[in-house]
Amino acid sequence: MSKPKVAFFEFTDCEGCQLQVANLGADLLELTKAVDIVNFREIMSEEGQEYDVLVVEGSIASKHDEERLKAVAAKAKVIVALGACAATGGVNNLKNLKSIEEQKKIVYGDVDPVKDAIPAKPIDAVVKVDYYVHGCPIHGPEFVKVMQCVLMGKPYQVPAYPVCVECKQNENICMYDKGQFCLGPVTRAGCNSWLPNNGVPCVGCRGLIDNPAANAQKDILEKYGLTVEGILDKFTLYCNTQKERAKYDKEFKS
Amino acid sequence: MKYAIIAKTEMPRWFDSLKRHGKIFGPKKKEHQYVFRPINEFEEMSLVYIPTILPPKKYYFPQREALLKFSIDPYRTDKAIKEFEEFILFAVHTCDIAGIQCMDVVFNDAPADPNYLNRKEKMTIIGLECMSYCDTYASCTAVGNHVPRGGYDIMLTDLGDAYAMHVNSEKGEKLAAGKSYIREMSEADRGRLKRAQDEKLKKFHNEFNGDIKSVEKAFDDGFFSSVWQDVGRRCVGCTNCTAVCPTCYCFDIADEMEMNLNDGVRARTWSYCQMDDFAKVATGEDFRPGRDGRQRHRYYRKFKYPVAKYNKYFCTGCGRCTRTCMAKISLIETVNGLLDERKGA
Repeated sequence: MSKPKVAFFEFTDCEGCQLQVANLGADLLELTKAVDIVNFREIMSEEGQEYDVLVVEGSIASKHDEERLKAVAAKAKVIVALGACAATGGVNNLKNLKSIEEQKKIVYGDVDPVKDAIPAKPIDAVVKVDYYVHGCPIHGPEFVKVMQCVLMGKPYQVPAYPVCVECKQNENICMYDKGQFCLGPVTRAGCNSWLPNNGVPCVGCRGLIDNPAANAQKDILEKYGLTVEGILDKFTLYCNTQKERAKYDKEFKS
Repeated sequence: MKYAIIAKTEMPRWFDSLKRHGKIFGPKKKEHQYVFRPINEFEEMSLVYIPTILPPKKYYFPQREALLKFSIDPYRTDKAIKEFEEFILFAVHTCDIAGIQCMDVVFNDAPADPNYLNRKEKMTIIGLECMSYCDTYASCTAVGNHVPRGGYDIMLTDLGDAYAMHVNSEKGEKLAAGKSYIREMSEADRGRLKRAQDEKLKKFHNEFNGDIKSVEKAFDDGFFSSVWQDVGRRCVGCTNCTAVCPTCYCFDIADEMEMNLNDGVRARTWSYCQMDDFAKVATGEDFRPGRDGRQRHRYYRKFKYPVAKYNKYFCTGCGRCTRTCMAKISLIETVNGLLDERKGA
């Protein structure tokens, strides 16, 4: 049996998640024993157009993005969304807070180099996604786990629990204990509490858990002298889509 | 030698002698909190400490643990892992020793857990008696864990310039015997120890608004209490209370493959009843969908179910769940809420 062929394609993004894959070191070499990487411009100049597994990085932010994604996806048996931009829209969603005309004016002034720009969206708004690797950037070890699942034909379960689970197991001092605002309690885990391990509060790059305790969170914020506006501001960066907001509003409005 | 005395100035020397026996883990300061860590020199430790972020549980029931190795082709599967090395837990508070006793009961219950028991066999526990409250979150007196109640190899009690040693096992005897600087307790020393412990007891009081029997009754009657709605509304679902508990023993097991997709390990990781999907089953049915029900379950797993099953309270009174809760849900307040409701009724 020949090794499955894997291709990486990037859309609207910074390519930082592919860089995380390139930085996997020994794990990447192990991966290449199990698969043939045919397209990955961070690490190789060859460009194969035949592949089984398509790894997509980046959001869809223009008509061109959309058409190109549909075309590359048509050849793939399995599609993996790599990183926040592909999985949830990531920071690209920020542009949706203003109209296309307004953003263009702010960014480009009088010229319009992206005539077919559309509101940013995750790739599952265009094609069916089989696997999600969340995070901005992705956490390398999780990508390896997801690829193993791809190869075994098993589903990958993104943790349904919050970052606090990993953070406490790592015996970090709680950010709230230090008077810092942290999105850990409402953000889905899987990154091994990467930021808090390094003394930085979680920014929610992996997106909200399905059932965040909005009311309880509000109480906590007040206790620590923080405001609801504060938490909503923090959500702006990674969790500002309707889908993410709805999870929070579920309880806020009831 | 059942009771002995060691001068505080001799502690580093004794500590050095323990290194030959195995790796030593003890309490160490981390910012304004404490953690159990590997200790090389006696001075690294903080012997006056509030309970560590995680209990020493992580050394006998680790966050993630390989249970056995396997391969698919050729098919091979091992028995439980046995190769553990001797290790010493140093300066363990009586509440955490009570936690170890609870875990012993659970993992010895049929079917006994060989990985836990193999590791436990290599563990030596040197306890340290608390002479005053660590902080206001502890409820050790209510459950009787403010004083040593066995479960250790040696217990140290602070007598000012020296420690009284209660040598409680053959393992402990080996560590204390034959040292010129550790001497058998005299009558005068016994008097000192008694006075120190009497003085200490004056500082400790039942933290609950009722004795432990009335707590048991309050839990019998309190399943539908409004206390749980209040706790559930405030709970943010971070799971920290279960992560830091010395008697939470729930775990998940999953097979983890190597990249060659042929070799793997069966790994056990901590799992918590406070997780959103903990009681969710294949059809999507969730047996404990609300945070109120999940929090209630946690309390009943400490104050009722294990009492019925093992005749043992699974709250050690360490106060960690309260200390770690960002919503400030207090175990003492919750239990008192149940007690007061009952009195009012």
